[in-house]
Amino acid sequence: MSAQPPADAAADLGARARATGAIVWSSFLAAALATMVCFAFIDPLSLANGEPPRWWSTRLNVYAVGFFFFWLVGFIAATLSWFLARRGTER
Amino acid sequence: MNTPEGPARESLYLAHEKVYPREIDGRFARLRTLAVWVLLGIYYLLPWLQWGERQAVLFDLPARKFFILGLVFWPQDFIFLTWLLIIAALALFFFTAVGGRLWCGYACPQTVWTETFLWMERFAEGDRAARLKLDRGPWTAQKLARKSFKQFLWVTFALWTGFTFVGFFTPIRTLGASVLSFGLGPWELFWVLFYGFATYGNAGYLREQVCKYMCPYARFQSAMFDRDTLIITYDEERGEPRGARKRGSDPRSQGKGDCIDCTWCVQVCPTGIDIRKGLQIECIACAACIDACDSVMDKVGSPRGLIRYTTEHALKHEKTRFARPRTLIYGGLLAALTIGFMTAIALRSPVSLDVIRDRNALYRLTGDGHVDNVYTVRILNKSEREQRFTLEARGASALALLPHVAEYRVASGAVHSVPVRVRRAAYDPLGAETITFTLRSLDDPDVSTETEARFLGPAR
Repeated sequence: MSAQPPADAAADLGARARATGAIVWSSFLAAALATMVCFAFIDPLSLANGEPPRWWSTRLNVYAVGFFFFWLVGFIAATLSWFLARRGTER
Repeated sequence: MNTPEGPARESLYLAHEKVYPREIDGRFARLRTLAVWVLLGIYYLLPWLQWGERQAVLFDLPARKFFILGLVFWPQDFIFLTWLLIIAALALFFFTAVGGRLWCGYACPQTVWTETFLWMERFAEGDRAARLKLDRGPWTAQKLARKSFKQFLWVTFALWTGFTFVGFFTPIRTLGASVLSFGLGPWELFWVLFYGFATYGNAGYLREQVCKYMCPYARFQSAMFDRDTLIITYDEERGEPRGARKRGSDPRSQGKGDCIDCTWCVQVCPTGIDIRKGLQIECIACAACIDACDSVMDKVGSPRGLIRYTTEHALKHEKTRFARPRTLIYGGLLAALTIGFMTAIALRSPVSLDVIRDRNALYRLTGDGHVDNVYTVRILNKSEREQRFTLEARGASALALLPHVAEYRVASGAVHSVPVRVRRAAYDPLGAETITFTLRSLDDPDVSTETEARFLGPAR
Protein backbone atom coordinates (compact mmCIF):
# COMPACT_ATOMS: atom_id res chain seq x y z
CA MET A 1 0.00 0.00 0.00
CA SER A 2 1.76 3.16 -1.14
CA ALA A 3 0.43 6.69 -0.65
CA GLN A 4 0.94 7.41 -4.34
CA PRO A 5 -1.67 5.49 -6.31
CA PRO A 6 -0.28 3.71 -9.36
CA ALA A 7 -1.01 5.17 -12.76
CA ASP A 8 -3.40 2.39 -13.62
CA ALA A 9 -5.37 2.70 -10.37
CA ALA A 10 -8.66 2.28 -12.17
CA ALA A 11 -7.54 -0.90 -13.90
CA ASP A 12 -6.12 -2.21 -10.62
CA LEU A 13 -9.41 -1.54 -8.85
CA GLY A 14 -11.19 -3.36 -11.64
CA ALA A 15 -9.02 -6.45 -11.25
CA ARG A 16 -9.45 -6.31 -7.49
CA ALA A 17 -13.20 -5.93 -7.73
CA ARG A 18 -13.36 -8.79 -10.16
CA ALA A 19 -11.30 -11.01 -7.86
CA THR A 20 -13.60 -10.12 -4.96
CA GLY A 21 -16.60 -11.07 -7.06
CA ALA A 22 -15.05 -14.39 -8.04
CA ILE A 23 -14.11 -15.16 -4.42
CA VAL A 24 -17.55 -14.34 -3.01
CA TRP A 25 -19.35 -16.20 -5.78
CA SER A 26 -17.21 -19.37 -5.80
CA SER A 27 -17.35 -19.67 -2.02
CA PHE A 28 -21.14 -19.20 -2.21
CA LEU A 29 -21.41 -22.15 -4.60
CA ALA A 30 -19.13 -24.27 -2.43
CA ALA A 31 -21.12 -23.33 0.69
CA ALA A 32 -24.38 -24.33 -0.99
CA LEU A 33 -22.90 -27.72 -1.85
CA ALA A 34 -21.38 -28.21 1.61
CA THR A 35 -24.65 -27.29 3.34
CA MET A 36 -26.59 -29.72 1.21
CA VAL A 37 -24.27 -32.66 1.77
CA CYS A 38 -23.63 -31.93 5.44
CA PHE A 39 -27.26 -31.60 6.49
CA ALA A 40 -28.39 -34.51 4.33
CA PHE A 41 -26.34 -36.75 6.59
CA ILE A 42 -26.64 -34.89 9.88
CA ASP A 43 -29.87 -33.93 11.54
CA PRO A 44 -28.96 -30.83 13.57
CA LEU A 45 -31.53 -31.61 16.25
CA SER A 46 -29.86 -34.96 16.97
CA LEU A 47 -26.61 -33.14 17.73
CA ALA A 48 -28.08 -30.79 20.31
CA ASN A 49 -26.90 -32.66 23.41
CA GLY A 50 -26.32 -30.86 26.66
CA GLU A 51 -27.41 -27.24 26.68
CA PRO A 52 -27.54 -26.01 23.07
CA PRO A 53 -27.60 -22.26 22.42
CA ARG A 54 -30.98 -20.65 21.88
CA TRP A 55 -30.64 -20.31 18.10
CA TRP A 56 -30.19 -24.08 17.87
CA SER A 57 -33.90 -24.48 18.60
CA THR A 58 -35.08 -25.04 15.01
CA ARG A 59 -33.51 -26.89 12.12
CA LEU A 60 -33.87 -23.91 9.80
CA ASN A 61 -31.77 -21.78 12.12
CA VAL A 62 -29.01 -24.36 12.20
CA TYR A 63 -29.15 -24.78 8.41
CA ALA A 64 -28.80 -21.03 7.96
CA VAL A 65 -25.95 -20.66 10.47
CA GLY A 66 -24.26 -23.69 8.88
CA PHE A 67 -24.58 -22.14 5.45
CA PHE A 68 -23.04 -18.84 6.49
CA PHE A 69 -20.29 -20.72 8.34
CA PHE A 70 -19.42 -22.71 5.22
CA TRP A 71 -19.53 -19.53 3.18
CA LEU A 72 -17.03 -17.91 5.56
CA VAL A 73 -14.70 -20.92 5.41
CA GLY A 74 -14.89 -20.96 1.60
CA PHE A 75 -14.30 -17.22 1.51
CA ILE A 76 -11.16 -17.55 3.63
CA ALA A 77 -9.82 -20.41 1.49
CA ALA A 78 -10.52 -18.61 -1.79
CA THR A 79 -9.03 -15.34 -0.54
CA LEU A 80 -5.88 -17.11 0.63
CA SER A 81 -5.56 -18.92 -2.69
CA TRP A 82 -5.93 -15.66 -4.57
CA PHE A 83 -3.45 -13.93 -2.30
CA LEU A 84 -0.80 -16.65 -2.54
CA ALA A 85 -1.15 -17.08 -6.29
CA ARG A 86 -0.95 -13.32 -6.78
CA ARG A 87 2.12 -12.84 -4.61
CA GLY A 88 3.88 -15.61 -6.46
CA THR A 89 3.50 -14.10 -9.89
CA GLU A 90 3.01 -10.36 -9.56
CA ARG A 91 5.21 -9.11 -6.78
CA MET B 1 -9.50 -16.80 -21.83
CA ASN B 2 -7.44 -13.80 -22.81
CA THR B 3 -8.02 -10.65 -20.88
CA PRO B 4 -9.02 -7.95 -23.31
CA GLU B 5 -6.95 -4.80 -23.11
CA GLY B 6 -8.26 -1.32 -22.41
CA PRO B 7 -11.49 -0.27 -20.79
CA ALA B 8 -13.16 -3.63 -21.39
CA ARG B 9 -10.82 -5.11 -18.80
CA GLU B 10 -12.73 -3.58 -15.89
CA SER B 11 -16.14 -3.96 -17.46
CA LEU B 12 -17.68 -6.02 -14.66
CA TYR B 13 -18.00 -3.13 -12.24
CA LEU B 14 -16.77 0.02 -13.89
CA ALA B 15 -16.98 1.04 -17.52
CA HIS B 16 -19.29 -1.75 -18.56
CA GLU B 17 -20.92 -0.90 -21.84
CA LYS B 18 -24.60 -1.75 -21.76
CA VAL B 19 -25.75 -4.12 -24.49
CA TYR B 20 -29.00 -3.19 -26.21
CA PRO B 21 -29.95 -6.36 -28.04
CA ARG B 22 -32.11 -5.74 -31.12
CA GLU B 23 -35.22 -7.94 -31.17
CA ILE B 24 -35.34 -10.50 -33.93
CA ASP B 25 -37.89 -13.01 -35.08
CA GLY B 26 -36.94 -16.32 -36.62
CA ARG B 27 -36.84 -20.07 -36.17
CA PHE B 28 -34.49 -20.05 -33.21
CA ALA B 29 -36.07 -17.05 -31.51
CA ARG B 30 -39.40 -18.91 -31.62
CA LEU B 31 -37.74 -22.03 -30.25
CA ARG B 32 -36.37 -20.03 -27.33
CA THR B 33 -39.74 -18.40 -26.70
CA LEU B 34 -41.22 -21.88 -26.52
CA ALA B 35 -38.50 -22.97 -24.08
CA VAL B 36 -39.19 -19.89 -21.93
CA TRP B 37 -42.91 -20.64 -21.73
CA VAL B 38 -42.43 -24.33 -20.99
CA LEU B 39 -39.67 -23.91 -18.39
CA LEU B 40 -41.10 -20.89 -16.60
CA GLY B 41 -44.55 -22.48 -16.83
CA ILE B 42 -43.23 -25.50 -14.97
CA TYR B 43 -41.43 -23.30 -12.45
CA TYR B 44 -44.38 -21.04 -11.63
CA LEU B 45 -47.17 -23.63 -11.74
CA LEU B 46 -45.55 -26.71 -10.20
CA PRO B 47 -45.80 -25.59 -6.55
CA TRP B 48 -49.56 -25.10 -6.98
CA LEU B 49 -50.09 -28.68 -8.06
CA GLN B 50 -51.68 -30.89 -5.40
CA TRP B 51 -51.09 -34.62 -4.88
CA GLY B 52 -53.90 -35.96 -2.73
CA GLU B 53 -53.84 -33.98 0.50
CA ARG B 54 -50.43 -32.41 0.01
CA GLN B 55 -48.39 -30.30 -2.38
CA ALA B 56 -47.11 -32.45 -5.26
CA VAL B 57 -43.55 -31.11 -5.19
CA LEU B 58 -42.35 -29.89 -1.82
CA PHE B 59 -38.87 -29.87 -0.32
CA ASP B 60 -39.77 -29.80 3.34
CA LEU B 61 -36.45 -28.89 4.95
CA PRO B 62 -37.72 -28.46 8.54
CA ALA B 63 -39.25 -31.95 8.46
CA ARG B 64 -36.33 -33.38 6.44
CA LYS B 65 -38.61 -34.89 3.78
CA PHE B 66 -38.79 -34.31 0.03
CA PHE B 67 -42.09 -34.94 -1.75
CA ILE B 68 -41.96 -35.43 -5.51
CA LEU B 69 -45.33 -36.47 -6.91
CA GLY B 70 -46.04 -39.90 -5.41
CA LEU B 71 -42.58 -40.35 -3.92
CA VAL B 72 -41.25 -39.35 -0.52
CA PHE B 73 -37.51 -39.05 0.01
CA TRP B 74 -35.77 -39.13 3.38
CA PRO B 75 -32.24 -38.06 4.29
CA GLN B 76 -31.31 -41.76 3.99
CA ASP B 77 -32.15 -41.48 0.29
CA PHE B 78 -29.44 -38.89 -0.24
CA ILE B 79 -27.71 -41.30 -2.61
CA PHE B 80 -30.56 -40.72 -5.08
CA LEU B 81 -29.97 -36.99 -5.08
CA THR B 82 -26.25 -37.52 -5.68
CA TRP B 83 -27.08 -39.97 -8.41
CA LEU B 84 -29.48 -37.50 -10.00
CA LEU B 85 -26.85 -34.75 -9.94
CA ILE B 86 -24.32 -37.04 -11.62
CA ILE B 87 -26.93 -37.85 -14.30
CA ALA B 88 -27.59 -34.14 -14.79
CA ALA B 89 -23.86 -33.42 -15.16
CA LEU B 90 -23.39 -36.25 -17.65
CA ALA B 91 -26.42 -35.10 -19.64
CA LEU B 92 -24.85 -31.65 -19.79
CA PHE B 93 -21.55 -33.16 -21.02
CA PHE B 94 -23.33 -35.29 -23.60
CA PHE B 95 -25.47 -32.51 -25.04
CA THR B 96 -22.52 -30.11 -25.03
CA ALA B 97 -20.37 -32.59 -26.95
CA VAL B 98 -23.13 -33.11 -29.53
CA GLY B 99 -24.85 -29.75 -29.78
CA GLY B 100 -22.52 -27.21 -28.20
CA ARG B 101 -23.94 -24.70 -25.75
CA LEU B 102 -27.57 -25.73 -26.17
CA TRP B 103 -28.04 -25.35 -22.43
CA CYS B 104 -26.90 -21.72 -22.48
CA GLY B 105 -28.99 -20.75 -25.49
CA TYR B 106 -32.31 -22.25 -24.52
CA ALA B 107 -32.53 -23.77 -21.05
CA CYS B 108 -30.32 -21.88 -18.58
CA PRO B 109 -32.38 -19.94 -16.00
CA GLN B 110 -30.15 -16.94 -16.67
CA THR B 111 -31.12 -16.97 -20.37
CA VAL B 112 -34.77 -17.69 -19.69
CA TRP B 113 -35.25 -14.96 -17.10
CA THR B 114 -33.18 -12.45 -19.03
CA GLU B 115 -35.46 -13.08 -22.00
CA THR B 116 -38.59 -12.31 -19.96
CA PHE B 117 -36.96 -9.21 -18.46
CA LEU B 118 -36.13 -8.06 -21.99
CA TRP B 119 -39.76 -8.57 -23.00
CA MET B 120 -40.86 -6.34 -20.12
CA GLU B 121 -38.19 -3.78 -21.01
CA ARG B 122 -39.39 -3.72 -24.61
CA PHE B 123 -43.00 -3.44 -23.52
CA ALA B 124 -42.25 -0.45 -21.31
CA GLU B 125 -39.50 1.33 -23.25
CA GLY B 126 -39.95 0.25 -26.86
CA ASP B 127 -37.55 -1.37 -29.33
CA ARG B 128 -33.77 -1.08 -29.49
CA ALA B 129 -33.65 2.30 -31.19
CA ALA B 130 -36.25 3.74 -28.80
CA ARG B 131 -34.37 2.39 -25.77
CA LEU B 132 -31.05 3.84 -26.99
CA LYS B 133 -32.69 7.20 -27.59
CA LEU B 134 -34.46 7.11 -24.23
CA ASP B 135 -31.26 6.33 -22.33
CA ARG B 136 -29.26 9.06 -24.10
CA GLY B 137 -31.97 11.68 -23.77
CA PRO B 138 -32.56 13.96 -20.77
CA TRP B 139 -34.83 13.03 -17.89
CA THR B 140 -38.27 14.05 -19.05
CA ALA B 141 -41.61 13.17 -17.50
CA GLN B 142 -42.11 10.61 -20.24
CA LYS B 143 -38.74 8.98 -19.58
CA LEU B 144 -39.49 8.87 -15.87
CA ALA B 145 -42.88 7.30 -16.53
CA ARG B 146 -41.46 4.64 -18.86
CA LYS B 147 -38.59 3.79 -16.53
CA SER B 148 -40.90 3.61 -13.51
CA PHE B 149 -43.28 1.37 -15.38
CA LYS B 150 -40.40 -0.96 -16.31
CA GLN B 151 -39.20 -1.04 -12.70
CA PHE B 152 -42.72 -1.79 -11.53
CA LEU B 153 -42.97 -4.76 -13.95
CA TRP B 154 -39.50 -6.02 -13.03
CA VAL B 155 -39.95 -5.74 -9.27
CA THR B 156 -43.39 -7.35 -9.30
CA PHE B 157 -42.18 -10.22 -11.45
CA ALA B 158 -39.03 -10.67 -9.35
CA LEU B 159 -41.03 -10.76 -6.10
CA TRP B 160 -43.41 -13.29 -7.58
CA THR B 161 -40.37 -15.34 -8.62
CA GLY B 162 -38.96 -15.20 -5.08
CA PHE B 163 -42.35 -16.14 -3.64
CA THR B 164 -42.57 -19.14 -5.99
CA PHE B 165 -39.06 -20.21 -5.04
CA VAL B 166 -39.92 -20.27 -1.34
CA GLY B 167 -43.13 -22.09 -2.30
CA PHE B 168 -41.02 -25.12 -3.19
CA PHE B 169 -39.87 -25.30 0.44
CA THR B 170 -42.92 -24.07 2.37
CA PRO B 171 -46.43 -25.12 1.31
CA ILE B 172 -47.26 -22.37 -1.19
CA ARG B 173 -50.95 -22.05 -0.33
CA THR B 174 -50.18 -21.38 3.34
CA LEU B 175 -47.37 -19.10 2.24
CA GLY B 176 -49.76 -17.14 0.02
CA ALA B 177 -52.17 -16.74 2.93
CA SER B 178 -49.40 -15.46 5.20
CA VAL B 179 -48.28 -12.98 2.55
CA LEU B 180 -51.82 -11.63 2.33
CA SER B 181 -52.03 -11.28 6.11
CA PHE B 182 -48.44 -9.88 6.42
CA GLY B 183 -47.55 -12.90 8.55
CA LEU B 184 -44.44 -14.19 6.76
CA GLY B 185 -41.80 -15.74 8.99
CA PRO B 186 -38.38 -14.04 9.04
CA TRP B 187 -36.66 -16.76 6.97
CA GLU B 188 -39.47 -16.92 4.45
CA LEU B 189 -39.37 -13.15 4.00
CA PHE B 190 -35.58 -13.21 3.74
CA TRP B 191 -35.55 -15.87 1.01
CA VAL B 192 -38.41 -14.27 -0.96
CA LEU B 193 -36.47 -11.00 -1.02
CA PHE B 194 -33.10 -12.69 -1.59
CA TYR B 195 -34.24 -14.77 -4.53
CA GLY B 196 -36.33 -11.92 -5.89
CA PHE B 197 -33.36 -9.58 -5.69
CA ALA B 198 -31.09 -12.15 -7.34
CA THR B 199 -33.54 -12.51 -10.22
CA TYR B 200 -33.91 -8.73 -10.56
CA GLY B 201 -30.17 -8.12 -10.53
CA ASN B 202 -29.15 -11.04 -12.75
CA ALA B 203 -31.90 -10.78 -15.36
CA GLY B 204 -32.36 -7.03 -15.27
CA TYR B 205 -28.82 -5.69 -15.00
CA LEU B 206 -26.00 -8.26 -15.00
CA ARG B 207 -27.39 -10.30 -17.92
CA GLU B 208 -24.56 -11.46 -20.21
CA GLN B 209 -21.98 -10.58 -17.55
CA VAL B 210 -23.21 -13.54 -15.49
CA CYS B 211 -22.28 -15.79 -18.43
CA LYS B 212 -18.99 -14.02 -19.00
CA TYR B 213 -17.69 -13.67 -15.46
CA MET B 214 -19.72 -15.79 -13.05
CA CYS B 215 -20.65 -18.99 -14.79
CA PRO B 216 -18.33 -21.96 -14.16
CA TYR B 217 -19.90 -23.93 -17.02
CA ALA B 218 -18.97 -21.21 -19.52
CA ARG B 219 -15.34 -21.69 -18.51
CA PHE B 220 -15.11 -25.45 -18.84
CA GLN B 221 -17.60 -26.19 -21.59
CA SER B 222 -14.87 -25.90 -24.22
CA ALA B 223 -13.33 -29.07 -22.77
CA MET B 224 -16.33 -31.01 -24.13
CA PHE B 225 -16.00 -29.50 -27.61
CA ASP B 226 -14.34 -31.18 -30.54
CA ARG B 227 -14.36 -30.71 -34.30
CA ASP B 228 -17.69 -32.53 -34.60
CA THR B 229 -19.56 -30.40 -32.07
CA LEU B 230 -22.30 -28.12 -33.37
CA ILE B 231 -21.21 -24.51 -33.15
CA ILE B 232 -22.72 -21.29 -34.42
CA THR B 233 -20.34 -19.85 -36.89
CA TYR B 234 -19.94 -17.40 -39.72
CA ASP B 235 -18.96 -18.95 -43.04
CA GLU B 236 -15.93 -16.81 -43.75
CA GLU B 237 -15.22 -18.56 -47.03
CA ARG B 238 -18.65 -17.55 -48.33
CA GLY B 239 -18.98 -14.17 -46.68
CA GLU B 240 -15.65 -12.48 -47.33
CA PRO B 241 -14.71 -9.97 -48.55
CA ARG B 242 -17.72 -8.30 -47.01
CA GLY B 243 -19.27 -5.10 -48.26
CA ALA B 244 -22.43 -3.33 -49.35
CA ARG B 245 -23.90 -4.08 -52.77
CA LYS B 246 -27.08 -3.50 -54.74
CA ARG B 247 -30.05 -5.69 -53.93
CA GLY B 248 -30.18 -8.77 -56.13
CA SER B 249 -26.76 -8.09 -57.69
CA ASP B 250 -24.28 -10.95 -57.84
CA PRO B 251 -21.56 -10.38 -55.23
CA ARG B 252 -19.05 -12.64 -56.96
CA SER B 253 -19.03 -10.52 -60.14
CA GLN B 254 -18.12 -7.52 -57.94
CA GLY B 255 -15.36 -9.48 -56.23
CA LYS B 256 -17.34 -9.59 -52.97
CA GLY B 257 -18.61 -12.28 -50.61
CA ASP B 258 -22.19 -12.73 -49.41
CA CYS B 259 -21.84 -10.64 -46.24
CA ILE B 260 -23.23 -7.15 -46.84
CA ASP B 261 -21.80 -5.89 -43.54
CA CYS B 262 -25.20 -4.77 -42.24
CA THR B 263 -24.05 -5.59 -38.65
CA TRP B 264 -27.43 -7.02 -37.70
CA CYS B 265 -25.69 -10.09 -36.28
CA VAL B 266 -23.81 -7.76 -33.90
CA GLN B 267 -26.89 -5.73 -32.97
CA VAL B 268 -28.99 -8.75 -31.96
CA CYS B 269 -26.23 -10.37 -29.92
CA PRO B 270 -27.16 -10.43 -26.21
CA THR B 271 -23.46 -10.63 -25.26
CA GLY B 272 -22.44 -7.89 -27.69
CA ILE B 273 -19.88 -9.83 -29.75
CA ASP B 274 -19.22 -10.02 -33.47
CA ILE B 275 -19.69 -13.63 -34.56
CA ARG B 276 -17.72 -12.89 -37.74
CA LYS B 277 -14.54 -12.76 -35.66
CA GLY B 278 -14.85 -16.50 -35.06
CA LEU B 279 -15.87 -18.67 -32.11
CA GLN B 280 -15.63 -16.71 -28.87
CA ILE B 281 -16.01 -17.70 -25.23
CA GLU B 282 -18.72 -15.06 -24.76
CA CYS B 283 -21.01 -16.73 -27.32
CA ILE B 284 -23.90 -18.42 -25.52
CA ALA B 285 -25.14 -20.03 -28.73
CA CYS B 286 -28.52 -18.31 -28.61
CA ALA B 287 -28.65 -18.29 -32.45
CA ALA B 288 -30.07 -14.75 -32.60
CA CYS B 289 -27.39 -13.91 -35.19
CA ILE B 290 -28.56 -16.84 -37.34
CA ASP B 291 -32.12 -15.51 -37.32
CA ALA B 292 -30.88 -12.00 -38.10
CA CYS B 293 -28.57 -13.08 -40.94
CA ASP B 294 -31.17 -15.42 -42.45
CA SER B 295 -33.72 -12.63 -42.63
CA VAL B 296 -31.17 -10.31 -44.26
CA MET B 297 -30.08 -12.99 -46.75
CA ASP B 298 -33.76 -13.48 -47.66
CA LYS B 299 -34.04 -9.75 -48.34
CA VAL B 300 -30.94 -9.45 -50.52
CA GLY B 301 -31.81 -12.66 -52.34
CA SER B 302 -28.88 -14.81 -51.24
CA PRO B 303 -29.25 -18.31 -49.78
CA ARG B 304 -29.63 -18.60 -46.01
CA GLY B 305 -26.97 -20.03 -43.77
CA LEU B 306 -24.12 -17.52 -44.00
CA ILE B 307 -24.21 -17.78 -40.21
CA ARG B 308 -25.41 -21.24 -39.17
CA TYR B 309 -25.16 -24.23 -36.88
CA THR B 310 -22.33 -26.30 -38.22
CA THR B 311 -19.17 -28.12 -37.14
CA GLU B 312 -15.51 -27.37 -37.68
CA HIS B 313 -15.23 -30.48 -39.82
CA ALA B 314 -18.15 -29.42 -42.01
CA LEU B 315 -16.64 -25.97 -42.47
CA LYS B 316 -13.52 -27.63 -43.86
CA HIS B 317 -15.68 -29.76 -46.15
CA GLU B 318 -14.96 -32.86 -44.12
CA LYS B 319 -17.42 -35.40 -42.79
CA THR B 320 -19.05 -34.75 -39.40
CA ARG B 321 -19.27 -37.87 -37.25
CA PHE B 322 -21.97 -38.01 -34.63
CA ALA B 323 -20.82 -41.38 -33.24
CA ARG B 324 -17.33 -40.88 -31.88
CA PRO B 325 -15.59 -42.09 -28.68
CA ARG B 326 -16.58 -38.97 -26.75
CA THR B 327 -20.31 -39.13 -27.50
CA LEU B 328 -20.40 -42.92 -27.19
CA ILE B 329 -18.80 -42.82 -23.73
CA TYR B 330 -20.92 -39.92 -22.45
CA GLY B 331 -24.06 -41.40 -23.99
CA GLY B 332 -23.38 -44.92 -22.74
CA LEU B 333 -22.69 -43.76 -19.19
CA LEU B 334 -25.75 -41.53 -19.28
CA ALA B 335 -28.04 -44.32 -20.44
CA ALA B 336 -26.65 -46.83 -17.93
CA LEU B 337 -26.95 -44.42 -14.99
CA THR B 338 -30.47 -43.35 -15.98
CA ILE B 339 -31.72 -46.92 -16.26
CA GLY B 340 -30.03 -47.82 -12.98
CA PHE B 341 -31.58 -44.79 -11.31
CA MET B 342 -35.11 -45.62 -12.49
CA THR B 343 -34.73 -49.23 -11.38
CA ALA B 344 -33.38 -48.25 -7.98
CA ILE B 345 -36.26 -45.80 -7.43
CA ALA B 346 -38.81 -48.44 -8.42
CA LEU B 347 -37.27 -51.07 -6.15
CA ARG B 348 -36.67 -48.73 -3.22
CA SER B 349 -37.67 -50.39 0.04
CA PRO B 350 -40.08 -48.33 2.14
CA VAL B 351 -38.37 -49.54 5.29
CA SER B 352 -34.79 -49.77 6.43
CA LEU B 353 -33.18 -51.69 9.25
CA ASP B 354 -29.84 -51.06 10.93
CA VAL B 355 -28.38 -53.41 13.49
CA ILE B 356 -25.39 -52.22 15.51
CA ARG B 357 -23.56 -54.53 17.94
CA ASP B 358 -23.05 -53.24 21.43
CA ARG B 359 -19.45 -52.05 21.50
CA ASN B 360 -18.95 -52.48 25.24
CA ALA B 361 -19.34 -56.23 25.64
CA LEU B 362 -18.27 -59.13 23.42
CA TYR B 363 -20.78 -61.62 24.81
CA ARG B 364 -22.21 -62.75 28.11
CA LEU B 365 -22.58 -66.33 29.29
CA THR B 366 -25.70 -66.99 31.30
CA GLY B 367 -25.76 -69.50 34.15
CA ASP B 368 -28.04 -71.91 32.30
CA GLY B 369 -25.86 -72.70 29.27
CA HIS B 370 -26.78 -69.81 26.97
CA VAL B 371 -24.85 -66.92 25.44
CA ASP B 372 -26.22 -63.38 24.94
CA ASN B 373 -25.21 -60.64 22.50
CA VAL B 374 -26.64 -57.12 22.73
CA TYR B 375 -27.55 -55.00 19.69
CA THR B 376 -29.19 -51.70 18.96
CA VAL B 377 -31.84 -52.10 16.31
CA ARG B 378 -32.97 -49.05 14.31
CA ILE B 379 -36.16 -49.31 12.26
CA LEU B 380 -36.93 -46.49 9.81
CA ASN B 381 -40.41 -46.31 8.31
CA LYS B 382 -40.10 -44.41 5.02
CA SER B 383 -43.71 -45.04 3.96
CA GLU B 384 -46.41 -42.44 4.37
CA ARG B 385 -48.36 -44.21 7.13
CA GLU B 386 -47.76 -45.87 10.48
CA GLN B 387 -46.76 -49.53 10.26
CA ARG B 388 -46.43 -52.46 12.65
CA PHE B 389 -43.38 -54.66 12.28
CA THR B 390 -42.16 -58.00 13.57
CA LEU B 391 -38.50 -58.71 14.06
CA GLU B 392 -36.79 -62.09 14.07
CA ALA B 393 -33.24 -63.38 13.99
CA ARG B 394 -31.92 -66.51 12.27
CA GLY B 395 -28.62 -68.28 12.79
CA ALA B 396 -27.11 -71.78 12.62
CA SER B 397 -29.16 -72.78 15.68
CA ALA B 398 -32.29 -71.43 17.32
CA LEU B 399 -32.07 -67.77 18.39
CA ALA B 400 -34.34 -65.95 20.80
CA LEU B 401 -34.92 -62.19 20.93
CA LEU B 402 -35.21 -60.72 24.40
CA PRO B 403 -37.32 -59.12 25.59
CA HIS B 404 -39.98 -60.62 23.36
CA VAL B 405 -41.91 -57.89 21.58
CA ALA B 406 -44.94 -58.92 19.53
CA GLU B 407 -44.85 -55.87 17.27
CA TYR B 408 -43.01 -52.59 16.86
CA ARG B 409 -45.18 -49.63 15.98
CA VAL B 410 -43.32 -47.05 13.92
CA ALA B 411 -44.95 -43.80 12.79
CA SER B 412 -44.54 -42.56 9.24
CA GLY B 413 -41.09 -41.14 8.78
CA ALA B 414 -40.00 -42.06 12.29
CA VAL B 415 -36.91 -43.92 13.43
CA HIS B 416 -37.50 -46.46 16.16
CA SER B 417 -34.37 -47.35 18.10
CA VAL B 418 -34.50 -50.25 20.52
CA PRO B 419 -31.94 -52.40 22.40
CA VAL B 420 -32.29 -56.14 21.78
CA ARG B 421 -30.62 -59.16 23.34
CA VAL B 422 -30.12 -62.26 21.21
CA ARG B 423 -29.75 -65.57 23.06
CA ARG B 424 -28.66 -68.99 21.85
CA ALA B 425 -27.14 -72.19 23.22
CA ALA B 426 -23.60 -71.39 24.37
CA TYR B 427 -21.70 -74.11 22.41
CA ASP B 428 -23.94 -74.69 19.38
CA PRO B 429 -22.29 -73.64 17.12
CA LEU B 430 -18.88 -72.94 18.63
CA GLY B 431 -17.50 -69.41 18.36
CA ALA B 432 -18.71 -66.58 16.19
CA GLU B 433 -21.26 -66.69 13.38
CA THR B 434 -23.15 -64.34 11.08
CA ILE B 435 -26.83 -64.05 11.90
CA THR B 436 -29.66 -62.47 9.89
CA PHE B 437 -32.27 -60.07 11.22
CA THR B 438 -35.55 -59.96 9.31
CA LEU B 439 -38.06 -57.17 9.63
CA ARG B 440 -41.58 -57.76 8.28
CA SER B 441 -44.49 -55.40 8.06
CA LEU B 442 -47.76 -56.71 9.48
CA ASP B 443 -49.71 -54.15 7.46
CA ASP B 444 -48.14 -54.79 4.09
CA PRO B 445 -47.00 -58.38 3.38
CA ASP B 446 -44.77 -57.19 0.52
CA VAL B 447 -42.64 -55.04 2.79
CA SER B 448 -39.71 -56.73 4.47
CA THR B 449 -36.00 -56.23 4.76
CA GLU B 450 -33.01 -58.14 6.07
CA THR B 451 -29.69 -57.21 7.53
CA GLU B 452 -26.76 -59.24 8.81
CA ALA B 453 -24.78 -58.93 12.02
CA ARG B 454 -21.96 -60.80 13.79
CA PHE B 455 -22.84 -62.91 16.79
CA LEU B 456 -19.96 -63.77 19.16
CA GLY B 457 -19.78 -66.82 21.37
CA PRO B 458 -17.18 -68.89 23.29
CA ALA B 459 -14.81 -70.79 20.97
CA ARG B 460 -14.52 -73.78 23.32
